[in-house]
Amino acid sequence: MIELSELSAAAQKAFPADKITPSRDASWQLITEMGWLMLELSEEQDGLGLGRDASATVHFELGHILPATPLLSALLGLQAVAASDRLVDKQGWVERLCAGEYVPLNLLSGNVENSGDGRLNGTISGIFEADMATHIVAATAGRYDLIPLDAVGVAVTERPLWDPSRRLFDIELVDYIVNPNLVIAEGDDAGTLHDRLSPSAQLALAADSLGAANTVLNMTVEYLNTRRQFDRPLAMFQALKHRVADLKARLVAAEALLWSRANEVTSMLEMGALKAHCTQLFCDIAEDAVQLHGGIGLTDEYPCHLFLKRAFLNAELCGNTDYWEQNMGCQALKASSSDR
Amino acid sequence: MTDQKNSLRLELREWLNKNVPRDWRSAADSHEKFAVHQRAWFGKLAKAGYAVPHWPAKWPGGGRSLAEQKIIYEELARADAPRLLLSFVSTYHAFATLHECGSKAQQDRYLPEILNGETWCQGFSEPNAGSDLAAIRTKAVRESRPDGDVYVVEGQKVWSTMAQYADRCLLLTRTSSDGPKQAGMTYLLMDMKSPGVSVRPIHQIQGDEEFAEIFLDMVEIPVSERVGEEGEGWAVAQATLASERGLTLMELSYRMRGALKRIADDIRLHKRDQDAGIMRDFGRLATQVDACCALADRFLENRMQGNEAIGDASIVKNTYSRTLREWTKFGLRIGGINAQYRDPITYGDLNSGNWMADFMNSYAWTIAGGSEEVQRNIISERMLGMPREPKEWKLG
Repeated sequence: MIELSELSAAAQKAFPADKITPSRDASWQLITEMGWLMLELSEEQDGLGLGRDASATVHFELGHILPATPLLSALLGLQAVAASDRLVDKQGWVERLCAGEYVPLNLLSGNVENSGDGRLNGTISGIFEADMATHIVAATAGRYDLIPLDAVGVAVTERPLWDPSRRLFDIELVDYIVNPNLVIAEGDDAGTLHDRLSPSAQLALAADSLGAANTVLNMTVEYLNTRRQFDRPLAMFQALKHRVADLKARLVAAEALLWSRANEVTSMLEMGALKAHCTQLFCDIAEDAVQLHGGIGLTDEYPCHLFLKRAFLNAELCGNTDYWEQNMGCQALKASSSDR
Repeated sequence: MTDQKNSLRLELREWLNKNVPRDWRSAADSHEKFAVHQRAWFGKLAKAGYAVPHWPAKWPGGGRSLAEQKIIYEELARADAPRLLLSFVSTYHAFATLHECGSKAQQDRYLPEILNGETWCQGFSEPNAGSDLAAIRTKAVRESRPDGDVYVVEGQKVWSTMAQYADRCLLLTRTSSDGPKQAGMTYLLMDMKSPGVSVRPIHQIQGDEEFAEIFLDMVEIPVSERVGEEGEGWAVAQATLASERGLTLMELSYRMRGALKRIADDIRLHKRDQDAGIMRDFGRLATQVDACCALADRFLENRMQGNEAIGDASIVKNTYSRTLREWTKFGLRIGGINAQYRDPITYGDLNSGNWMADFMNSYAWTIAGGSEEVQRNIISERMLGMPREPKEWKLG
């Protein structure tokens, strides 16, 4: 059994904090070699059999350096494949994916219609780094399918992002004929699978956000300590350092919440609310970081803006903040009436 | 070990089921009656062995590990039992001070009395020494008397929690003005019935009187009542201030979480549950409260493992106080105009559902015990390594 502290130390060593935005392809090779694609795969399937806390640990550490490498999309794709009880040659798929074949799950919903005769039409959004993928795991209305990107009726289009740390693609389906051998789940099974994947996705996004928030907050402290105006470091002004102190306090509290929920029993809704909380905080910290850096924060050569852009994209993935907060509110209201 | 903890939890839960006074909120409709109820509740808990779990094992009810103390406060919060407010300074601050710095004679004399219900107050803050505690000016001068030397004390203390009910006072005085501010302080134990002591409760904005001013007019305190040496009062005061680390804020966070149901009740009462904006904000608040609880838990776990770092306690305090403010403000918003009609206050409850009172009460946590702003200095300077502002200043 691998200890979380070992995992965290290995991640920090492989992806040192002072080298943000490392090369995507080199990073992908590294995470494949480290076995991180197999983190949550059960031991019966030759995985590491670790829990959600292990995945959160890796995403938290990687988050510090704004990785382009699409670990989350890959892990979700692999989880979907591994959970299928009808996919043909499942074991072969699992092995190939663990070895580094990239088959991502979409992190945004699309508008795909199932014409009933086995044809799918529409757009699937939220595929990260599709240029390195062979297939995708497409979560569409009520079903999960493996779709080969070179199949007839499948077109891949990049959607340029404000966030330069990642690349996002749409998949257009025009009369794409579902391959029965590549169906992962349909009907109730698809619902079950969704409820299983969703908390993993929320947790990873929360962890990524807090890791990145740590880096940009530290950068800001360092900048305020170094930059001098009015014959003193900016950090000497309480008006500035108190803002940083508040952000730090919120960050530490959010981390406590993250680790208290990084387990198998946290509900989908609680995980979604966690993600909303952490991405919102990342947005707030990144927003203030640019402001506190002053002019240099607005320059492209200084990395502040990378955090800002990543933060706001994270907030939109896998259900936005409003969605999760509102559902959490309804749930909290319901919970408090049942014990009356 | 886990079994032991579970059995403590179950045993206490059963005891609380039988013993928590059901009507404690309505019964304490004046501050005097609140004090009476507090004494009775402390007596009951002390007799059952739950009042001083942090004391050493030689005391009845003492010798509990931090993990067990945590369970006790979790269960008290869960049962919505009255908080131990009146006895707080005596069982934590006075105990820690005496235990760590007091003489054997002082310990033997005062600790049993605390267990019997004697209450203490803390005489630290002064009108011109709040956030800057080291600036205190209450003067103590040593003089000889036929039956032994005394300190003659002159000055004024303020924001002393429930001093109007206290039997004794932990008194920080200045015996010398030489050297740095922190030097020249002397720590004394004062009988509140001594001639020259007068106490005036402070009327707070929400109608409560939790704090008082203490006026000291040539009060004579025997030298035997000094804790530590003359001039070492600052170091002793640190022991007092460090006495309670995290348990209270954990208990209060859990109580705040339990009391989310008061907000939920009002959301239903005022038919705001179809308002998406309200539901979103309620969801956000519920998560924020959970974060506050998780943080308090983590802080205690770190402490149990000896991993407390400088600034951690400040983060816990600011997180709780800020969340409490948000909590009360959200209640106020849901309460609407009804919250503006003045209802009698509930003494000793921060999450009563009397929203204006709760809201005003929340300032106690953002200001008392080191204001939010002082905590921000600690976090930024001592945790994040940002520089202090220069000491010298002069008017333009």
